[in-house]
Amino acid sequence: MSALPFLIIIPLLGAFSMPIISLFGEKARSAWAMLVSALTLGVASKVFYDVWSTKQLIVYTLGDTTPLGKGVNFPIRILWEVDLLGALMALIVTFVGFMAIIYSIEYMKHDTGLEKYYTLILVLELGMLGIVITGDMFNFYVFLEIMSIASYALVAFRNDTWEGIEAGIKYMFVGSLASSFILLGIALLYGQYGTLTMSYLAVKIAQNPTLVSKVALGFFIGGLLFKSGAVPVHMWLSDAHPAAPSSISAMLSGLVIKVGGVYALTRIAFSIYATSISIKTVGWIIIFFGCVTLIVGNAMAVIQTDMKRLFAFSSVGQIGYILLGIGIGLTAYGTKVGDIALAGAIYHIINHALMKALLFLVAGAVLHQVGTKNLNELSGLAKKMPLTSFAFLIGAAAIVGLPPLNGFASKWLIYESSALYNPFLAAIAVLGTAFCTAAYIRVLFTFFGRPSEVVENAKEPGKAMIIPMLILILAIIIMGLFPWQISDKIMLPTVDMIKDQLHYVVAVIGGA
Amino acid sequence: MNLIYATLGLIGLYIYVSFASLLWEGLDRKLVARMQRRVGPPLLQPFYDFLKLVSKESIIPRHAGKIFELAPVFALTVSIALLAYTPFGFAPLFNTKGDVIVFIYLLTLIAFIRVVGAINSGSPYAQIGAQREMIILVSREVPMMLGLFAILWRLSKLGVSKPFSLATFYEHNIWEIGTPLAFMGTIILLLVFLAWLASEIEAGYFNIPEAEQELAEGPMAEYSGRHLALFKLSNALKEFISASLVVAIFFPWGISGLVGLTGTSAIIADLIFHTLKVFAVLFVSMSIFRAVTGRLRITQAVQVFWLRMLPAAIIGVLLIAIDILEVIA
Repeated sequence: MSALPFLIIIPLLGAFSMPIISLFGEKARSAWAMLVSALTLGVASKVFYDVWSTKQLIVYTLGDTTPLGKGVNFPIRILWEVDLLGALMALIVTFVGFMAIIYSIEYMKHDTGLEKYYTLILVLELGMLGIVITGDMFNFYVFLEIMSIASYALVAFRNDTWEGIEAGIKYMFVGSLASSFILLGIALLYGQYGTLTMSYLAVKIAQNPTLVSKVALGFFIGGLLFKSGAVPVHMWLSDAHPAAPSSISAMLSGLVIKVGGVYALTRIAFSIYATSISIKTVGWIIIFFGCVTLIVGNAMAVIQTDMKRLFAFSSVGQIGYILLGIGIGLTAYGTKVGDIALAGAIYHIINHALMKALLFLVAGAVLHQVGTKNLNELSGLAKKMPLTSFAFLIGAAAIVGLPPLNGFASKWLIYESSALYNPFLAAIAVLGTAFCTAAYIRVLFTFFGRPSEVVENAKEPGKAMIIPMLILILAIIIMGLFPWQISDKIMLPTVDMIKDQLHYVVAVIGGA
Repeated sequence: MNLIYATLGLIGLYIYVSFASLLWEGLDRKLVARMQRRVGPPLLQPFYDFLKLVSKESIIPRHAGKIFELAPVFALTVSIALLAYTPFGFAPLFNTKGDVIVFIYLLTLIAFIRVVGAINSGSPYAQIGAQREMIILVSREVPMMLGLFAILWRLSKLGVSKPFSLATFYEHNIWEIGTPLAFMGTIILLLVFLAWLASEIEAGYFNIPEAEQELAEGPMAEYSGRHLALFKLSNALKEFISASLVVAIFFPWGISGLVGLTGTSAIIADLIFHTLKVFAVLFVSMSIFRAVTGRLRITQAVQVFWLRMLPAAIIGVLLIAIDILEVIA
């Protein structure tokens, strides 16, 4: 009996029962949300441990024991297929989701309509979990839309503020367009090959790589780069993250752009297309967008005066590193350099989810306690909110990539591989980091300067907001102390499993 | 067991370098005084200063935060950690391949901690000093890193056990390359490194962030008592460490081989000989430079770094790289 279905059952049950549980009052509501997300985290850890310890894919068919139909040798049912990357993403999604839910208990106290909020946040988590475990293209699209629609609603959750509505509308309009690109790509693939199972599609495309499959890939890349906030289409992100409640920003920036964007891109590129088309070209396209994203995102972060907007642009910049790693992983497919780059990218996905979640929780604490996120007014916050400032210091140091913290190892892998692959790319990566450092040092100096009048009466937030921050700090420091062990034990096996497309296919079709 | 020996070694080095670096401060003040026809303080003056500062009351300004009080401790901690990665006439205690990055990182971190401590003091003098220190910090490290990485890369081509480690200098040194162009390049890089050393320890031209007369000690304006003592000590350690880097790159020869010592006595002889070389380098880069030059304005200093030192470093690097790049026959 696999634990996998409970990864969907539990948040689904939690979300759908939330309106009923809410009738029992405020306490029951938040306790239920916490319980559900904690259980999901437990299930995700179990799934991750199962996959990691056996190094085997988990294939789960909905409605039957085998994905293959009666008398036919191709899969006809929806199936879930979890490799180490999917399990790792599920783990980080549930972990950060749990932290965000604990945080919301205090942070969202002054808002109304919280039963909808908790329903939406659980649905958001559900959508992301669905994306990372699914092995079916249309199922992927459905979960992508679940995630996207939940995040449109959550960005615009504070609908009495102008910016929430503005950002929500912007995000929804362009987000729907991007989703329709992906749907169109899926429709093209279905029309051409008559199947929607990822692994069977991989076989079909390899047998007959038509122009249609390439057009579909173009649509996927376009849509998914939008979802990940890569540069020409990052404008929704810099509005959505500042406008959303901070617990949601933490999930948007830490998870949504990675699960709905770079994870899906990796899955489609490696598990479906890797052997059938010239992945070198695809790799260079991704590298190009990665480099542009890296420079523009980090450079725009330097000039921001709004703290959350700065973090949002910094997320764009960090997505650039991840895209760069994935791109090199594709162009240098099957070489040592490609493996290192991909391991670095995956490692950076995890690390960035932790540290950006921490930074947005800090921003939320500042906004909650002081009432402004304008950096020009927040001078000297460290005196009044030392713990929050310390959390910021750790988060900023980790994101810049200082050695005792987790950001170092993942960025190092990306630098090293890009320098070995093409020194010009490494120079761009270092330039991006220089901008990133400048942006965070500016905030740091603001925090540690002379106390201004605005912060005069500020004090630390309560326990429910401090504890998630402390847990994230702890995770960052612990992951920072064992970088190479994690890289060797988890990230490199993950890369091996992603690259093993044959195994991904055979696990479903069963050697046929 | 190895770890215990390394810890003991680090403690021993810390005690030794603290004494040696404070002794050098006294020597420096004496020498500069003699250059200006003064008698100068006694040789052990820095020790008295240190003890006096430790015994005095530390005043914490009202607007200062926690980091203000923690910065001196962090600075000293990082300096001590840095000792484990510094070549002292023998390979660093914790040498591994690539430890040069740790060295540069920790060396920069000390200056950065000073800046953060100053920013957190709430004093405008300290803040202006900190801004200047930040500007100099980002300007001065570029030529140094360029030179250091190029030299290590060039030496790794000669075959070393741990590439990009500071232990490399005791396997091969830069003078061994032998070609006239490489020799010229090395000389140019030596000048760059002496200038870098002067700016790292803020002597002469580069005494800009602290600028007593203009800025009332800059970043250190609000520090007093124990906190100031810790900063003074970590600065002295940093002077010694920076000069050790220059000595290790350009004058790595040991004495123990010549007089036939082995084992512990060889280490001690090398350490003492290294100390003498450090004093000689500091004499040039610190005492003389301090006595004969005045302070530059911050804009002039930035120009010196980017328009003089950086091009010089690039030329020097190209000269030492040129015979391996095979652009000339």
